[in-house]
Amino acid sequence: MKPLHYLTLVLLLLALVIALVPQNTTRPYKLTAEQLLTEIRTGTQFVSPDEVADRIIKKDPSLQLIDVRNPREFDVFSLPGAINIPLQDILSEKNTDLLNQGTKMNIFYSNGSTEANEAWLLTRQIGYQNNYVLQGGLNYWMETIVNPQKPGTLPANDEMARYDFRKAASMALGGGSLTPVTTAPATDAGKATPGVVPVKKKKKASGGC
Amino acid sequence: MGPLSVNEIISPDTNFFLAFLIGTGFGFVLEQSGFSSSRKLAGLFYGYDMVVLKVFFTGGVTALLGLLFFSLFGWIDLNMVYVNPTFLWSSIVGGLVMGAGFITGGYCPGTSFCGAAIGKIDGMIFIIGLFIGVMFFAYGYPIFETLYKSGNMGAPKISTIVGTSDGLFALILVAVALAMFYVAEWVEKRFAREEY
Repeated sequence: MKPLHYLTLVLLLLALVIALVPQNTTRPYKLTAEQLLTEIRTGTQFVSPDEVADRIIKKDPSLQLIDVRNPREFDVFSLPGAINIPLQDILSEKNTDLLNQGTKMNIFYSNGSTEANEAWLLTRQIGYQNNYVLQGGLNYWMETIVNPQKPGTLPANDEMARYDFRKAASMALGGGSLTPVTTAPATDAGKATPGVVPVKKKKKASGGC
Repeated sequence: MGPLSVNEIISPDTNFFLAFLIGTGFGFVLEQSGFSSSRKLAGLFYGYDMVVLKVFFTGGVTALLGLLFFSLFGWIDLNMVYVNPTFLWSSIVGGLVMGAGFITGGYCPGTSFCGAAIGKIDGMIFIIGLFIGVMFFAYGYPIFETLYKSGNMGAPKISTIVGTSDGLFALILVAVALAMFYVAEWVEKRFAREEY
């Protein structure tokens, strides 16, 4: 027999096997409690309001804002382009396609960051990727983007640049005319905002002929 | 090194070192299989040597079957594997440009370095051309930008578009590849050249 005949036999046999067996849809990838704790402690899930504002203004098609508050609050005020998935519906089957995907960057937000963080925790535990949390929630958004505070006298260059960006973002996103959301749960209100952590993205593979 | 560097198990420096070793091995195998000869590569277009087609399709279907079996055994989660997004129109135009360079130069980028490494002058000239092309694209990027980003389809799988299972699609592709190999054998006999 020629080598090509051997190759034909082996490849066809393997391909037949793979075509006949059912696809493996089990998800071996789940986080252990320790791994989850590490992620929470490093805060990789948080995206700063500045980055979110920047993406909204640039009309980044990969950005998907998800409001996890109840529909009533969502109707009163929501961020541009956001969709509403109340926290109690986060595990419902009709939302699986939205939450478990590889192309968009989902960002959960609530008034503070507690509810959004809970949504992130639940989806992360079942192994979903690309879900993030708006740092500090809508309250911090109001403070930083909608009503930015001018830095004190003699600000550092980057502080001034950040203020300029926030002022511009505020104008672009219709700030000034809005009043901060007051329905925040008491537990959320005084919560310290988490540190800024760069968003980890999937790294691209490279190679070729 | 796929999962190792993305998950930061190895440092970027180690990653580069491993890439260097793998690259050297790849180049060595290419050279040993005769891919440093521009005649062998151009043979694909004239029909007297179809090795390139056979090598790349064998590589493709082997990787396809390997990944599906790994997934079957639960060794790899295919949802975690990064797939390059498809930009339809830039892929088509890029493919044509690449093919034209392939047939006129007799090399693809990797094999031109192979040829240059063993002292072939045409390989070196090809590399110079390659860099001219890179500069042309880089400086002309504003002109090409629309084309470069057109036809973005995300990262679709043909099996999803057609609506078959991944396994069935693999079987079809393997059958097509094997059929091509037999046709290639016939073509090689039909357009055989004694010396090249």
